[in-house]
Amino acid sequence: MDIAALIVWIITAVGGFGLLGTWVAKGGVRPQSAGSGSRFPPALIFGHFLLAAAGLVLWLVYVSTGTDALAWIAFVLLLAVAALGFTMFARWLPTYRTAGSTPASAGPPERHFPVPVVAAHGVVAAITLVLVLLAALNVGG
Amino acid sequence: MSKVDTGKRPVSPLLAGPYGHPWHPILVTVPIGAWVASLVFDIASHVVDRPGFLTEGSEWLIALGVLGALAAAAIGLLDLLAIPTGTPAFRTGLLHMSLNLGVTGGYRVNFFWRHGDYTDGRSVAAGPLTLSVICLAVLGVSGYLGGKLAYRYGVRVADEATQATGFRGRTASR
Repeated sequence: MDIAALIVWIITAVGGFGLLGTWVAKGGVRPQSAGSGSRFPPALIFGHFLLAAAGLVLWLVYVSTGTDALAWIAFVLLLAVAALGFTMFARWLPTYRTAGSTPASAGPPERHFPVPVVAAHGVVAAITLVLVLLAALNVGG
Repeated sequence: MSKVDTGKRPVSPLLAGPYGHPWHPILVTVPIGAWVASLVFDIASHVVDRPGFLTEGSEWLIALGVLGALAAAAIGLLDLLAIPTGTPAFRTGLLHMSLNLGVTGGYRVNFFWRHGDYTDGRSVAAGPLTLSVICLAVLGVSGYLGGKLAYRYGVRVADEATQATGFRGRTASR
């Protein structure tokens, strides 16, 4: 269970890196002009990334040492990560709906997120959360 | 805003530190201090009579350094994103990051190399000790590049007008 959670966590992270890279490449860090400002404050997207990365490091330490407390701390961190993720999802949805109607150069950088990547990242993240919880509860161990 | 000014501004004041007060420089003190102390412990383990405590302590310091380095790297990455791409400053930042990731990886290897027998009371073996010396030397190079980013290119350093506020004399007009 520990290893399964680790694997899906890494898969989630790969998708997340893709989305972050898209956001940065499309100017998320520096709004280029009025109207292309991101609806993600930097602290939101980078906070999500840093908490998730910290959780992953904790999970790696947990997998090698077996200290149960680490599994629970990682789970709590993931709850915060999920809350931030849902916030971004809620802010992304309106940009997705207008994607067809505005020119590609205008609009916030997150409108360039590929929908399959957003969907996969969310689904695999949810699976990670469940597997981390099961591992912390010592199910299947 | 000029490219120089872009590099001075944090991408996230909360996570990377506000303008003129970055978090990254204080975070790097942990890995640098821990890894320097680890080498001192390694060498001292060949000097004292009963070196077990130094050998064990050195491994803890390596682990502490790795965890601290990951935290410093995460925040340093935010500062790298503030630097305009395609500039010498950005290339210096990339090299600084790459060398530091290599050093962190080297110390991770070092940790697992020592892990099997570090509690048996002996001095630190030549192999892990040499690896520490090499990693610390590379750290010196990447640290030099970090200093260049701050003190020559002014990345995350307040602009000169702000700097001047620290030197206003009492007899000046303001």
